[in-house]
Amino acid sequence: MAKRQKRFEVLDAREVNKDGFVTEWPEVGMIAMGSPNDPKPSVKVSNGVIVEMDGKKREEFDFNELFIANYAINASLAEEMMALPCVEIARKIVDINVPRAEVVKIFSGLTPAKIAAVMDELNVVEMMMGIQKMRARRTPGNQAHVTNMQDNPVLMAADAAEATYYGFDEIETTVAVFNYGPMNALALLVGGQIGRPGALSQDALEESIELQLGLRGLTAYAETVSVYGTERVFIDGDDTPWSKAFLASAYASRGLKMRYTSGTGSEVQMAYAEGKSMLYLEIKCIMITKGAGVQGLQNGSISCIGVPGGVPGGIRAVLGENLVTTCLDLEVASGNDQTFSHSPFRRTARLMGQFLPGTDFIFSGYSAVPNYDNVFAGSNFDSDDYDDFLILQRDLKVDGGLRPVREEEIVAVRNKAAKAIQGVFAELGLPAITDEEVEAATYAHGSNDMPARDKVQDTKAAQEMLKRGVTGVDVVKALAKRGFPEVAEAVLNIQKQRVSGDYLHTSAILDKDFNVVAAINDLNDYQGPGTGYRLQGERWEQLANIRHAMSPQDI
Amino acid sequence: MSQQDLIAAIVKEVLSELNGGKASQPASTANGRSLHYQTDYPLSQKRRELVKTATGKSLDDITLDAIMSGAVQAEEIRITPQTLEYQAQIAESIKRPQLARNMRRAGELTRVPDDRVLAMYNALRPNRSSKAELLAIADELEKEYDAKVCANFVREAAGVYEARDVLKKD
Repeated sequence: MAKRQKRFEVLDAREVNKDGFVTEWPEVGMIAMGSPNDPKPSVKVSNGVIVEMDGKKREEFDFNELFIANYAINASLAEEMMALPCVEIARKIVDINVPRAEVVKIFSGLTPAKIAAVMDELNVVEMMMGIQKMRARRTPGNQAHVTNMQDNPVLMAADAAEATYYGFDEIETTVAVFNYGPMNALALLVGGQIGRPGALSQDALEESIELQLGLRGLTAYAETVSVYGTERVFIDGDDTPWSKAFLASAYASRGLKMRYTSGTGSEVQMAYAEGKSMLYLEIKCIMITKGAGVQGLQNGSISCIGVPGGVPGGIRAVLGENLVTTCLDLEVASGNDQTFSHSPFRRTARLMGQFLPGTDFIFSGYSAVPNYDNVFAGSNFDSDDYDDFLILQRDLKVDGGLRPVREEEIVAVRNKAAKAIQGVFAELGLPAITDEEVEAATYAHGSNDMPARDKVQDTKAAQEMLKRGVTGVDVVKALAKRGFPEVAEAVLNIQKQRVSGDYLHTSAILDKDFNVVAAINDLNDYQGPGTGYRLQGERWEQLANIRHAMSPQDI
Repeated sequence: MSQQDLIAAIVKEVLSELNGGKASQPASTANGRSLHYQTDYPLSQKRRELVKTATGKSLDDITLDAIMSGAVQAEEIRITPQTLEYQAQIAESIKRPQLARNMRRAGELTRVPDDRVLAMYNALRPNRSSKAELLAIADELEKEYDAKVCANFVREAAGVYEARDVLKKD
């Protein structure tokens, strides 16, 4: 255009217009919900076996469909539940007079296409009402990412301590450089128990290494176990529903908590969506999780958020996938974990779907480090946004899982974590951590503020940790010897979870006294006003008490 | 028997177990009754006496002192098949049959060494194994580790992999 209208010039320069948007393209699966290629719901059961599902005969099922038909659908209920009109099921999700258990029972008999059709009856407010009632655990929670670009272990321990002090129930790390895995797991384990005993930690790595760290007690749970909605993409991901289900049992056999990961858009991104809508394919992932007997799922598009984020109704579909996870009686770690927009308005609006109703983990996770240190391609919110988040909780009287903190408290826990990891490194014969590094980690904003470490020595030491078979028990001993008996006790209590198996159940987390809080002894009982989780009493006073609020005495 | 018939037969068995048939009857229960989520969970609090390590120690035996003196070793801090069976009963009582089934498979896998478990997982990945290799793993699970549920699960996979062409190509 030769002559620009000045308002449009300003609009074009706005953050939101740096985002990518596309029109629907159903043939390749660039459609959030309701693709013309999505199958029509149907089911036929013969002698207790599902012989037809969503218009396909059993002989035509791919391996995902066979797995779903064999394990995820209650064949004895399927025909009855499939006969219910979609809009009626959708209303039962929203209706406060229909208990959660009734909706769970209905969903146990539905096929993927039927569930997709039910979701299409709901607007986003109704989906949020659904999640408020259907999420498995009554008390909402939150998860953080703790990573840094240098894989600096001192900083990582300090950041882990800060994160759990804010209140994250789970913390997740990964590696900037492949070989650092065991050392990062160690830093997270030690730091996490200092900020808040009972926080669970994990290290997202290649499947077999991740399992090994779990077996040794250096992590407390696992999450990076991906499942996919089409057979072709599953094969490209080098797994099948049977291999993944076997892996799930392997984790449980060692007493380790785990969940799967999936998300809308992954099949489009991997170019084999078969022309199906993103939500329809994601529902298959959720049902595979259910069928495998895995207690929960991380979804909400996750690393593919740019794909649904770019199409019409995409963020609604992402909320829909979280809702389906809850309706199938699974724990949900509900995304919000990758930067998907340059616009703070869009980032905040995208969060509301999970933040307002509350989920088992509202973020999976929140970046507890600055954006530049987030090795998971950023997050929807990061450590620079803490006060925004805390004030959103206070404004709306919503428990997002975090609490206001004071600067001196954070300095203290960061310092303690840095000193503890210094002691553990010395005791385990890992490359020395200097007092200068401890001081820098205590006061750092991010890895740019840290003195450089000898990376060759660190990576070598990390690999030696694996070879030597360093265990969580070795960490307990090191902490006790170096004068951190209470941290040693906490790390030992994490090890003990692998004996009782209590935290293998749906939506299980640990409180600061290591009591398990799961969707059994804290089952969501929301049925309208006056029921379910209410933010009140001491907890509300705590969340209301932000740093910069003036009291009458101040004026 | 055709491939589809075989799959159907396996599935039928699986479903009858899933829906509470004979095969899912717990091997053993506490005081002759199945545990229930309302009375017995969390196990570590409400039925603490039932929880033992792989070497028969109680949770209260795992103390910092015991770790420091070497009285408790890292390898002992492991879940037992019995505890997983109790947790499976709790999952069943709250109507989570799939979770219970996973816990029962897990109970069987407690007997399989770490490296074998990892190798079996890798063998189940697509295009890794021939049908005979998968069936051999199933036999190994059943005969060497008394892992019947897992064995049938691997046999089912072998049939599905053949039907869906994800067996190893020669």
